[in-house]
Amino acid sequence: MPQPVQYRGMALIVPDNDSEWKEFYEHARAHRLVVRKCNACGLMRYPPTHACPWCMDLGWTWQEVSGRGTIYSYEIVAHAIQPGFKALTPYAVVLIELDEQRGKPTADEALRVIANLVQPDFTPEPEANVAIGKRVRVVFQDLADHMALPQFTLSEEPAPGRLWRLPG
Amino acid sequence: MNTLRDKYCIVGVGETEYSRSSRRTTRAMAVEAIRKAILDAGLKAADVDGMLDYQGGDSTLANSVASDLGIRFNFYMDVMGGGSSTEALVGLAMGAIEAGMCNTVAIYRSMNGYSEFRIGGTGARAAQPVRGLDLAQVPYGMRSAGQNFAPTFMRHMYEYGTTSEQVAHVRVAHSKHASQNPKALLKERVTVQDVLNSRWIVKPLHLLDCCLETDNATCIIVTSTERARNLKHRPAYIMGVAGRVSKPRLDFHWAHGPISRVAGYYAKDIVFPQAGITPEDVDVTGSYDAFTFTTMLQLEEYGFCKKGEGGAYVSSGIIELGGKRPNNTSGSHLCEGYTHGMSMVIENVRQLRGTVDDYCPRATDGVHTYDYSPGHCRQVKDVEITMNLGWAMPATGSALIMRR
Repeated sequence: MPQPVQYRGMALIVPDNDSEWKEFYEHARAHRLVVRKCNACGLMRYPPTHACPWCMDLGWTWQEVSGRGTIYSYEIVAHAIQPGFKALTPYAVVLIELDEQRGKPTADEALRVIANLVQPDFTPEPEANVAIGKRVRVVFQDLADHMALPQFTLSEEPAPGRLWRLPG
Repeated sequence: MNTLRDKYCIVGVGETEYSRSSRRTTRAMAVEAIRKAILDAGLKAADVDGMLDYQGGDSTLANSVASDLGIRFNFYMDVMGGGSSTEALVGLAMGAIEAGMCNTVAIYRSMNGYSEFRIGGTGARAAQPVRGLDLAQVPYGMRSAGQNFAPTFMRHMYEYGTTSEQVAHVRVAHSKHASQNPKALLKERVTVQDVLNSRWIVKPLHLLDCCLETDNATCIIVTSTERARNLKHRPAYIMGVAGRVSKPRLDFHWAHGPISRVAGYYAKDIVFPQAGITPEDVDVTGSYDAFTFTTMLQLEEYGFCKKGEGGAYVSSGIIELGGKRPNNTSGSHLCEGYTHGMSMVIENVRQLRGTVDDYCPRATDGVHTYDYSPGHCRQVKDVEITMNLGWAMPATGSALIMRR
């Protein structure tokens, strides 16, 4: 079993038998963002699971996605719970809606991913730049030989719709 | 519709002191709360033959506390869970009795939620190893309840224009109620500005938008209406119950839209038809206030106002003592102390009895002044029907409707 990856005071554990995450992080280490795609109905899903929530089929393959998307919701953590995050406050946790499969299989569904909104050096993007509706793209924070953490950064693309951030 | 409406009731309630330093075990606290509930019902230990409890690896199991009290079981079960468990276990207790497995069930929750296992995730649990599904969020600094729920609250603000000022009124109302509650940890009334001026925890949550981690034990006793006839108090009749009703996805609920929808959307269609009533018939609500937002989201999802109008509803005065439909009249999790939901059911049982334990000199006899200025009364006049809205997270909720 590989050693736990130490990151911001936490031990991230991805054992050899982790049939959900092991390959996901290997792809991430090669700087590919992947999700699982159902062999039967073709719908993608995240986080990685073993049955298709739409048709219950057990067959799946990894599918690379563009890593481009829009901020769907967010929070700004001012009071960190985890000791390793205290020096980073305030930091943004963003819920990203990926461009692939928006509004499928129902109008309210999409591939949505949690990450931090970061600058090129993986420090938090200043709060003033965080807003629902902003365009983002994936970047990869290398943590070990077999593991990288997908993160998101603001992209140059103009926002297609309404921008909104918490007043004040 | 075939229901068990009015066939079962809550006949006894009990709780320990709410504190931030109990200096004793969850076993000791559970024993005290259960004993108080048994005596409150006018029962003896030998009359209780069923037990249900809930916890998250932070409490004492039923086999210990029952032995301490001299209770022999015909049925018991320890359940994993926090908020929304109380109402769900009331339903399971009814089922166990209906199945002929036992006659009378004590339901308890006991936790040193501040001095031992902090519910907010701080302390020893903050640096636990991260594996499995946690990898999708915890490495990003998203672990506590507030951090898990905040994107839902933020999206509600985006979609419906809900404001921090509006939900601050939940804290204002509950602090008003706590000022009438000798048990409450925070008895001081606060203003909207106090909430908005308190420091940020995780935007959009200020400190005063969050509940108060607490040490306590709570207990309620469920039995059949037939059995209840000879007991001490007027029973609180159970009209309808929904237990741990979920949105389509539990594990990554913020990924599945609309994320501003909460589980009450599904639970309402179970519990209201059972009870044969509509929200308009409810006199007092107990909407789980882990955060100001959770109270608001549930009230709108259960139909006390239109979807999206929860902010206007909670800031209209309706939810305050003296308003049309007061919510959480004890001050509950935001001000009385955090109990994982049981205290709000206890409060509604007392409201239905007319014997809320406020500052009125003859409160226990059901004599109240209905003076809602600080340090006086919190009994609502002529309460016929109450409703509890239990919350575990946006994707899981429970509900309980009781009548006098």
